[in-house]
Amino acid sequence: MTTVQPPAIAVWLLRHFTLGEANEALAGDLLEELRSGRSAGWYWRQVLAAISISWRRDAMNLSSAAVFAALWATVTPVWLLVVAHVEQKFQFHARIWPMEWPWSTVLDLGTLLAANLLYILAGIGLYLALDMSLRRDLHVALLLRGMKAGVPVMIALSAALIVLPMNFIAQGQPANQLAGIPVGSSIIAHMNPIEVARIPPQETWEAQFGEKPVITRPSPFAAISDRRAPAILVRLPFFLVILFALWRAKPQLGKRPDGFAQ
Amino acid sequence: MADRSYLGEFELMILLAVIHLGDEAYGVPISRELEKHRGRGVSVGSVYAALERLEAKGLVSSSLGDPTPERGGKAKRFFQVTRGGLRQVNETRRVLTRLWQGLPELKGERP
Repeated sequence: MTTVQPPAIAVWLLRHFTLGEANEALAGDLLEELRSGRSAGWYWRQVLAAISISWRRDAMNLSSAAVFAALWATVTPVWLLVVAHVEQKFQFHARIWPMEWPWSTVLDLGTLLAANLLYILAGIGLYLALDMSLRRDLHVALLLRGMKAGVPVMIALSAALIVLPMNFIAQGQPANQLAGIPVGSSIIAHMNPIEVARIPPQETWEAQFGEKPVITRPSPFAAISDRRAPAILVRLPFFLVILFALWRAKPQLGKRPDGFAQ
Repeated sequence: MADRSYLGEFELMILLAVIHLGDEAYGVPISRELEKHRGRGVSVGSVYAALERLEAKGLVSSSLGDPTPERGGKAKRFFQVTRGGLRQVNETRRVLTRLWQGLPELKGERP
């Protein structure tokens, strides 16, 4: 028997993406087997299989949570427009805490992330209020843990969704005219509402960049009904984080998952 | 209370492995027992998923052992077959035996 350590990422995945009473016992079994001579590849295969089995098993149990998460995510663009409206009206950035780049961007992204997490929390609270039966069975500690684990997922997906479509839209355009600027599209408005709120006046824009592009700000109804691929992708992190948090809080087989009682 | 529905193939194998292993029936030896007799690898996660189904049906029960250093401080989860589980295994064996007895020699079967 040796003290071989399992792959750290696989351990993290096993810990956060499988659920049930067997979780800790399974982790112990896999470690015992690894230290008995199994390979890291075997460990990875076992972890991925366990995650797959766990998600398939819980898919039916979580159908109501999945439907709610999908509905809440669909309304996400309206929340982002509200954030943009508040920012435009009160100009927190310029009036309260003016900063130079790059701190201004860090502040923007931090504010946006905090606002988005607030929206997710509100959604989970609404779900719990609506689903009394789930609330009776719910383990608050697990829910908070699920949300905590969801934060890096939210950050990573949001960053990917901001970068990828910007690059897509930026093809053939001067970079200085596109950085952080909503180019006639509700897509960018969904992704970076704070920048939408700071669209410069016509004269300022023309002095800096030349001809101002057509900028359309979607109405709430238009935002909700936007079914273009990037607009759907914007909703994805919200859907996944809400579903993930509710899934982590769902007890298995009507019992408390002992493996998480730490 | 045991379910009157018949056991699935994998669930039956697991129940038999648990009976074979007696007091030492936890995830690792159960998986090894299955691998030995099936002749191919098995996902430990699928073993636990089946055991949880069996426990929900009242066919097995489980208890946690003491944490051990070689398992990273994680406890073993031991399984025992309940009376209902034993009844279910016997019933399944009875039905399968009758079915097999009625069969002629299968084509391509090797001794």
